[in-house]
Amino acid sequence: MNCDEARLLIGADPGVTTTALEEHLRGCAACAGFRRETRALDADIRRALERPPDLARSRAAVRPPAWRQWALAASVALAAFVALGVWVLRPSDTLAREVVAHVQSEPESWLATEHVTAAGIEHALRGAGVQLAITSERIRYAQSCWFRGHYVPHLVLETARGEVTVLLLRHEHVSARRAFHEAGMTGVIVPAERGSIAVLARGGGDIDDIARAMQRDVRWLPGNP
Amino acid sequence: MRPDLVRFAHWLARDRAIAEDIVQEALLRAWRSREALKDPSAARAWLLTIVRREHARLYERKRLELVSLDEVMETQASPQPAEPDGNLFALRHAIMRLPIEYREPLLLQVVGGLSTEEIARELALSGTAVLTRLFRARNKLRVICGLTPAPDVAPDAAVAGRESTP
Repeated sequence: MNCDEARLLIGADPGVTTTALEEHLRGCAACAGFRRETRALDADIRRALERPPDLARSRAAVRPPAWRQWALAASVALAAFVALGVWVLRPSDTLAREVVAHVQSEPESWLATEHVTAAGIEHALRGAGVQLAITSERIRYAQSCWFRGHYVPHLVLETARGEVTVLLLRHEHVSARRAFHEAGMTGVIVPAERGSIAVLARGGGDIDDIARAMQRDVRWLPGNP
Repeated sequence: MRPDLVRFAHWLARDRAIAEDIVQEALLRAWRSREALKDPSAARAWLLTIVRREHARLYERKRLELVSLDEVMETQASPQPAEPDGNLFALRHAIMRLPIEYREPLLLQVVGGLSTEEIARELALSGTAVLTRLFRARNKLRVICGLTPAPDVAPDAAVAGRESTP
């Protein structure tokens, strides 16, 4: 086996092992190095493919004006400041921690200033088996997000206490209300007719009334999407 | 299993709604032809191939409008909001940019767990062609990860070498 043959095999399948290949690698440091590199690359490829692509979000996105980029930076700085100044109670369970991490991974959701179209809302709810009994004018952000192996609606609603994030978690069951504070956010996860609902707001304050309203306003359709 | 099928279809179609439609149709087809599945342990590969064929069928049937991925990516303001790991974000987008003839065998191998021979059968290609496509797919991704691309190799010579190995 020569170097070209070895590299084709390694590049096509970094995990492949044959007698001829191993024999070649023992005598060829360059190809052995190529396999180490390719195996590391393959680990990254596998990590990259563990999640579905976020193209839908990319398509909807437009380059934000400069002021929005500054607003994003300012909001991140503000969140960090609040996190330092406010008593932080770590979420007591993995679900709450992952909800917070997900919301943190989409900081642009808090900055949405325009109402979501009916089609956008439908896209976010599609496949999750839910309907909303709230007017679309209150919805500032709606995406269908990959969370714990399922697509879940991720909404930002305009409320009397400001924007709140809502995740409709059909496949996550909790037995009782769970409140938490993390990274400058106040959150609560409440049981729902099917699964649970997570509600988060920036800063402190009472969001139980919003969670109760969502328990009332979310209609869970039968079936198991 | 369904989330895995949707993920696979999503990477193939690069559109979430279309991926859902593909999986829905694929599961219906699978149910109708369930008698064809002789070995339950092969159910995963069997379902993935049905999803792949349904994806190909959908594009043949509807001749869906193709979107310029370059234009789509240009609209992305910053990688940070969608993916905290910038390198991984770039890699994900590079995979999406791969032409379907390279992306498809890579997905079948990495997501589907199919061997080179199984991919060759599924795509109706020679083993040589599958090796070449997989090699070139990874070679394109090497550049994204800051690695030196390997010189393209002559597939005939390499495969001859492979077939001679025990």
